[in-house]
Amino acid sequence: MKSARNRSLAEIASLVVILTLIIIFFSQASPIFLTQRNLDNMLLDITTVGILAVFTTLLMIGGGLDLSVGSTVALCGVVIGALQGTWGILPAAAFAVAIGALVGLANGFLVTYVGINPLITTLGMLSIARGLAFVFSDGLTIPVFDSEGTQFDAYNTFTQFGEGQVFGIATPVFIMFVLFILGLLILQFTSYGRAMYAIGGNAQASQLAGLSVRRYRMIAYMLSGLSAGIAAVLLTSRLYAADPRAAPAMELTVITAVVLGGISLAGGKGTLIGTALGVLILTTLLNGMKLLSTSTDAQNIAQGVVLLLAVGLDQLRTRDINWTAWLRGSRLMPDGTKAIAKGD
Amino acid sequence: MQNTATPAQSKGVIPKIGRWLRGERLTTLNLFVSFIIICIIFASQSEFFLTLENFANIGRTLGVVSIVSIGMTLVLITGGVDISVGSVAALSGVVASILWLNFGVPLFLATLLGLLACTVVGFLNGYMIAIVKINPLITTLASFSIVRGLAFVLSNGQTNQLNDEAFKFLGRGEIGGVPVSLILLIVLYIVFFVVMHFTHFGRNLYAIGGSADASRLAGIAVRRHLLIVYTLSAFLAGLGGIIIASQLASSAPRAATGLEFTVIAAVVLGGTSLSGGKGSLIGTLVGVFILRVLDNGLVQTRVSSFYQDVISGAVLLLAVGFDQIRLKLTSTFGGK
Amino acid sequence: MLEMRHIRKSFYGVKVLDDVSINLYPGETLALLGENGAGKSTLIKILNGDYSRDAGDVILDGVPVHFAEPRDAEGAGIRMIYQELHYAPELSVAENLLLGRLPHRQGLLGWMIDWNAAREQAREALKLLNVNIDPMTKMRDLSVVEREIIEIVKALSRKARIIVMDEPTAALTPPEVQQLFGIIRDLCKQGIGIIYISHRLDEVFQIAQRVTVLRDGKHVDTRPIAEMTHKALVHMMVGRDIEERAEVRKGTAAIQLGDRLLEVQGLAKTGAFEDISFHVRAGEIVALFGLLGAGHNILTQTIFGIEKADSGNVHIGGHPVQVASPQDAKRAGIGFVPLDRKVNGLVLGMSVQKNITLSNWSTLAPFGIFRPKKEMHNTRHWVDKLGIRMAGGIETHTRYLSGGNQQKVVLARWLEANVRVLLLNEPTWGVDVGARSDIYDQLEALAAQGLAILIVSSDIEEVLTVSHRILTIYKGHLTGEFMQSEATQENLLHAAAGGTL
Repeated sequence: MKSARNRSLAEIASLVVILTLIIIFFSQASPIFLTQRNLDNMLLDITTVGILAVFTTLLMIGGGLDLSVGSTVALCGVVIGALQGTWGILPAAAFAVAIGALVGLANGFLVTYVGINPLITTLGMLSIARGLAFVFSDGLTIPVFDSEGTQFDAYNTFTQFGEGQVFGIATPVFIMFVLFILGLLILQFTSYGRAMYAIGGNAQASQLAGLSVRRYRMIAYMLSGLSAGIAAVLLTSRLYAADPRAAPAMELTVITAVVLGGISLAGGKGTLIGTALGVLILTTLLNGMKLLSTSTDAQNIAQGVVLLLAVGLDQLRTRDINWTAWLRGSRLMPDGTKAIAKGD
Repeated sequence: MQNTATPAQSKGVIPKIGRWLRGERLTTLNLFVSFIIICIIFASQSEFFLTLENFANIGRTLGVVSIVSIGMTLVLITGGVDISVGSVAALSGVVASILWLNFGVPLFLATLLGLLACTVVGFLNGYMIAIVKINPLITTLASFSIVRGLAFVLSNGQTNQLNDEAFKFLGRGEIGGVPVSLILLIVLYIVFFVVMHFTHFGRNLYAIGGSADASRLAGIAVRRHLLIVYTLSAFLAGLGGIIIASQLASSAPRAATGLEFTVIAAVVLGGTSLSGGKGSLIGTLVGVFILRVLDNGLVQTRVSSFYQDVISGAVLLLAVGFDQIRLKLTSTFGGK
Repeated sequence: MLEMRHIRKSFYGVKVLDDVSINLYPGETLALLGENGAGKSTLIKILNGDYSRDAGDVILDGVPVHFAEPRDAEGAGIRMIYQELHYAPELSVAENLLLGRLPHRQGLLGWMIDWNAAREQAREALKLLNVNIDPMTKMRDLSVVEREIIEIVKALSRKARIIVMDEPTAALTPPEVQQLFGIIRDLCKQGIGIIYISHRLDEVFQIAQRVTVLRDGKHVDTRPIAEMTHKALVHMMVGRDIEERAEVRKGTAAIQLGDRLLEVQGLAKTGAFEDISFHVRAGEIVALFGLLGAGHNILTQTIFGIEKADSGNVHIGGHPVQVASPQDAKRAGIGFVPLDRKVNGLVLGMSVQKNITLSNWSTLAPFGIFRPKKEMHNTRHWVDKLGIRMAGGIETHTRYLSGGNQQKVVLARWLEANVRVLLLNEPTWGVDVGARSDIYDQLEALAAQGLAILIVSSDIEEVLTVSHRILTIYKGHLTGEFMQSEATQENLLHAAAGGTL
C-alpha cells in the first residue's frame, strides 16, 4: 500500500523535472531566454493565467468546472472601459470585479440549484459573457486612459495596478503571489479548503455528513468569477485598453495548466503547488517557443500535445499494467481507472 | 413472485415508435412549444420571416450543424463529449485545398483525403479515450487546440480558393429545388436513425452510456464501440467542414470556429443527456432547427449580431434549466 | 468439471489470493464462504476473466483455459450474478436481458434487430422465474427488487454450465428466496454447477452440498456441508470462536432507560410509508425490521432530512424539530450511518482523521481555521475507543480500510459531532463476522452512555442479537412491536411479511 502522499510527491517531482528540462532546452536554444528582462516579461505574462488558475484549482478540487473565465475577463474589462467616463475609473473597476463575481454566482446557481451540468452551464456563460462584451463595446477596443484630463489621480492609481511595483515586484505579479499564497492557506488550513476536497471526493457523503454542499460550490464558482474580474482589472490597467476579444480561449490554457499540475476533472485531488508548476511549465514552453519565433499555431499544437502527454503518461503510470496483455491489445487492469475514464 | 404488474403493451409499429419516443416525448414537446413561441415573436417583428423563401434559406443553413450533431449525439449517448469538432471541420477543408492546389491531387480525391485526415484524428481521439483512458473532455480539448494549430500551420494561415463547379455543387447546388446539403443530411439522419434503433451497434451505444460495466460484462466490446464513435464524430465533422468549404468556395483555417458550442448546444437542447445513455437523433434535429431559426430570426429582425452569442447562450441555459427543473418537480411529486 | 488450481493474485504488491484451489462437480452447489476481503470476489473475477491471474490454472472439463475477457468466459458457459447491479437505466428490460445478444432478423435485413423476437425471448426468460414485468418497461422505472430479479433472470436465461451467484438473495423476500432455491435445485438436476456466495449461513446449509472457506486469501478447507455445524463454519471463517451474543445478552441485567430522545409522530410520505409513530429512549437500541423495500430505509432518510415528509413531526429530546436537510439534522443532534458507506458514508480519498472530523468543523475549525492539535487529539480518542485498525496511522486513506473499520469511521464521525440520536441503516451490511461483533459491542456501549439508537435492518439475526426492542414494518406501515425477550425469528418474519398478530 503506497501512501497517497508519496504518489503526489512523485507527481510533483516529475513536474519539476519536466520544467527543468524545458528551461535547460530553451536557455540553450535562445540567448535571451534567461535574461532578467525576459523572465520579468514572462512573469507578467503569467499573471492572468496564474490568477485564474488559483481559483480554478479550488473549484476543480471541489468537482466543478468553469469554461467561462476567459469571456468573463473580456466582459469585466469592457465594463471598465464602458463605465470609466460616467462613473469614474476606480468605481468602474470595482464594479467590474463585482460583475465578475456575479457571473460566477450565476454559474454557481445554475450548477448547484438548477442542476445543469457544469460543462453546459459555463459553455453557455462563455457565449453570453463574450457576447455581452461585444455588445457593450460595439465590438471595438476601448482605450482606457485619462482622455479628458479631469481624473488624473484616479487614473494614476488605476495604472498602478498594472504598471506599479510593490516591494520591487510588479503589482500584477505581487497580487498573483498573494492570491496564490491565500489559496494555499485556504486549502491547507481552513474548513473551506477541506470542504472542497471532501465535496470533490464524494459529494453525496459530504452532504450526508452535514456539509452544505451547494453553498460551498456556489462560493467556489463565485470566487472563480471574482478572480476573472481581478485579472481583468490588472490586464486593462496594463494595456490601457479594454478589448472584447481579450483573453481568447483563456479557459483552455487555464484548464490545461491545472490538469497538467495534477488536478483531476473528477475532483477531490490535487494541490496548488502542482498547479503552479503546471502554469510555469506551460507558459515557459509557450514563451520559449515565442523566442524561437515559432508561430502561435505551433504553440497551440504544443499546448495540446503537452496536455495529452501529461495526462496520458499519468494514466499509464498509475495503472498496474499487464504489458503482455497491453501489447496484445487486451484489457488493462480495471482497478480504479473506470471512474477516471468516465468523468463528467 | 409478487411484482407490480405493468399493463401489457399493444403490438404494432405505431405504439412501438411511441414507446421509443415516450421517454423523450416531454422534452420534445417542450421544444416544439418553445419553437412555436420563437416563430410567433419573429413573425410579429419581421414580415419576411414567415415566408417560404426564408424557410428555404433556413433549410440551406441546417446542413453543417445538423450533420456534425449526429456524431455529437452518438458521442454524448456513450457518456463522452467531443470538443474538437470545429477544429476538425477546419482541417478537412484545409487538407483538401492544399492537396488540390499545391500537389495537384484531383479535387475529388483531395476531398476524400481531407475526410480521411479527419477520420484519423477521430481514431486518435478514440484511442486516447478508449484505450489510454484519458477523460474525453481533456482529450478532445487537447485535440481541439492541436488540430486547429495544424490547420493554420498547413495552410500558412491563408484562405484558399476552391473554385470548382463540381465541388461547389455539394454546398450550393440543388436537386429539384432542394439543396444538396439538405438531401445529404436527410439521408444521413435516416441512416443513423436506423442505426440507433435497429442495429446492435446503436443499442450498444445506449447500453454503454447507461452502464459501461453492464455492457462490458455482457460481452460488448466497449472500447471498440468508443473508438468507432469518436472516429465517426470526426468523420462527420470533416464532412461538415467540406460542406462549409464548398458553400464558401474556399477553405480557411479559422473556419467553423465555435462550431463545437453550437453543436453541443443543439444536441443538449434536443434532450440528449451529458451523463450518457439517453438521447435521440430526432431531438437533435429539432434542437438544430430551433437554433437555426433563432439565428435567422435575429438577422431578420435586425438584432445586432453581437446579441446573437448572448441569446444562443441564454436559450441553451434556459432550455436545459427548465428541463432540469421539470425533472426535479416530477421526481418530487409524481415519481416513485 | 471445473477446477481452479493454485491461483495466486496480488494488487499493487498486496497478496489477495495465495495458492487457492477449488473444484466443482456437475450438478453441485458449492458454497464459497469467507469474510469480506478473504478473496472470494477476486477469485470469481479471475474465473470470469475480469481479472488476470498471476499464477495457477483454470481447468474446464480437463482442458486448461484462459479467459482474457468476461466475453470469453461467457462463451464457455460461465454466468455471473453480481452483487452490485449492472444495467443500463434508459434501456428496456428486454434489452437489458438480451444485452449483447439481441436477436437478428432473417435474410436481407439480417443486420437489423428483430424487436418482436426480442420481446418474445425476454418474455420467455421472465417466465423462468414467473416474473410479471413488461419486457418493454424501461429499467429505470423498476424498483430495486425488480432490478435484482432481472439480474438473476439475465444469468439464468442463457445456456449455462456454471453459474456463479454473488449474494443473490440480498434483496429478496423469504418466499422469493425459496423460489430461487427451487430454481437452483432444478438447475443442478440439469447438471449445471453452481458456485454460491453468501453471508447468510442458514441459506448455505439449505442449498449447498459442499462448502469451501477462504480466509485472508488462503484456502482454509473444503468440506461436505453435512459434516459442518454453524459454529464450526464461523470458526473456519473467522479463525476464532465468536460467542453466541444473543445467549449472553439475555443473561445481562436490565438496561437503564432514560427520556424519549427521539419521538416520531404520524410521519407519512406518499408511496413510501404512512402514519408512523414510535419513540426511542436514551440508552435504548431499537431495531426497525422489514424486508427490503418495506419503507424503513426511506423512513430513516426522512428523519435525517434527505427525503421530505408529507406530514407528521419529529421530536428530539422532547422538542419539535424541523429537519429539511442533513445540516438541520446534525444541528438537532441526529447522526446517520448510511447503507452504502463507500458511496454515501466516506470520502474514500481522504484520511481517516479528515473523515472522522468531517461533521464537527464548528468546534474544530472556529472561524473556518482548523486547530490541528485538537483535531488530531480527538481523532486519536475515537480511533482508540472504537478500536479502528488501519495500517499507517490516521493519515491512511479510508479507501484502504476493511469494511468493518470503515463503518467504525462513519460511526466515529457522528460521535465526534456529539449527536444524541443515531440512525443506522443496515450497520453490518458487507461487514464480516468478526468486525460485526465488534460493532455490536460498540453500539451497546454507546447506548449505555445514553444515546438513542435506531437500527434499520433486513437481517433477522442482527435484529435479534443487538436490539432491546424491535418494530416491524411492512409496506410502509408498522405491523408489530416486540421486546427482545418475546421476539423470535417466526413472529418477526410473520409481522414483517404483513401478517397481523
